[in-house]
Amino acid sequence: MALLMEGLKEALLLLFRFDREVYGIIGLSIGLSFTSTIFSAIIGIPLGLYLGIKPFRFKKTFTRTIYTMMSLPPVVIGLLVALFLSRSGPLGSLGLIFTPTAMVIAQMILITPIILGIVYNDAKQQGPAIKQIGMTLGAGRLQTLKLLITEMRITLLIALVTGFGRATSEVGAVMIVGGNIKGHTRVMTTYIAMNSSMGNYAVAISMGIVLLLISFMVNTILYHYVTGE
Amino acid sequence: MNIQVTNLIKKYQDKTVVDMNSIGFLSGNIYGVTGDNGAGKTTLLKILAGLESHDLGNIVYNDQPLGPSLMKKITYLSQTPYLMRSSVYENIIYPLKIRNVDSKIIERKAFEIMEELQVAELRDQLATQLSGGESQKVALARALVFDPEVLLLDEPTASIDPATIEIIEEAIKKRNKLQNMTIIMISHNIDQVKRMCDEIIYMKKGKRI
Repeated sequence: MALLMEGLKEALLLLFRFDREVYGIIGLSIGLSFTSTIFSAIIGIPLGLYLGIKPFRFKKTFTRTIYTMMSLPPVVIGLLVALFLSRSGPLGSLGLIFTPTAMVIAQMILITPIILGIVYNDAKQQGPAIKQIGMTLGAGRLQTLKLLITEMRITLLIALVTGFGRATSEVGAVMIVGGNIKGHTRVMTTYIAMNSSMGNYAVAISMGIVLLLISFMVNTILYHYVTGE
Repeated sequence: MNIQVTNLIKKYQDKTVVDMNSIGFLSGNIYGVTGDNGAGKTTLLKILAGLESHDLGNIVYNDQPLGPSLMKKITYLSQTPYLMRSSVYENIIYPLKIRNVDSKIIERKAFEIMEELQVAELRDQLATQLSGGESQKVALARALVFDPEVLLLDEPTASIDPATIEIIEEAIKKRNKLQNMTIIMISHNIDQVKRMCDEIIYMKKGKRI
């Protein structure tokens, strides 16, 4: 309990001391998570909508595969991405290992199936009825797509929030592909892990509290936007 | 709009669900389609609405095959209609909005149909929170507001109280007379079919009997 209180005190100090390094870490964390969420959404949302509505062979197998991919082990993904991007790897010439770009790639691989899975699942259930309504009321293809997005807006935002949450809380993969380099690839989660291993629990807890606060703020904003409450 | 169906066959895998030699639906008439469950009534209606494809045969609407412009003149109302996550009013005006109808005309037409189906007091209520009967009236209002030439109804009054059934039947008959609308209605209620329809089509195992 004393550690938690100390952590809370430290969190406030961290925030109000306006420490450049700390704000750099927070900014990088948010920036990377935001970027990977946007790119994953660009892939996952249209694909989820399309596959959810479209009848195709092996749909049940596809569903099971997507659900499995939603729980991909981050460390394994980190390792695979690192192997591909390392100097001796097939994509080594791009020089992406230990860069924020590599971290975005790892995060994208982890959260695209989550966004895709959430959207796909709802589109599979609701999509045909919405599409039918569009068609029977005289909507064209684009109007039907717009109707689908409007009707599924809550699901789409849930998918985005979940993806963003997973990206910000991710530690294993970004640690491997980013390397936790100070001022370059150090993010909140790797900062927490590093300080925890060094025994700086108060600092680790304080950054954890900041992470929770950011997550709470993002959820509050999106909840307000979706429900109007 | 006149609809002519010739040698229509629809199969699900190897099972024939609709097998119609020849059947015509004339403009301004109300047709009742009845028969046991699994007789192919809903499939027939969905094929006519362009929601399902058919394997063989020909369907023409005023001597033309079904295309995007004709689809805009046909509407289909299911037994459990989907209402959008918005107000009753927004649901009702949706077909007019996507047709870029003038806002004053939208207001007038919505008011008329809401009065006719007695849903005016529900105007600002969230459509997804309505009772079964209210939902069906709102869905019918939405289907009628853009004056379709063909109205396809799949058990529109199933599990609905008698007072609501009367309102729905009146609205259907009124529109049929006023706009010369072709109406094809599936119903298990023989009394209702006799009461409302000009012609009754009995179906069994996909065929007209």
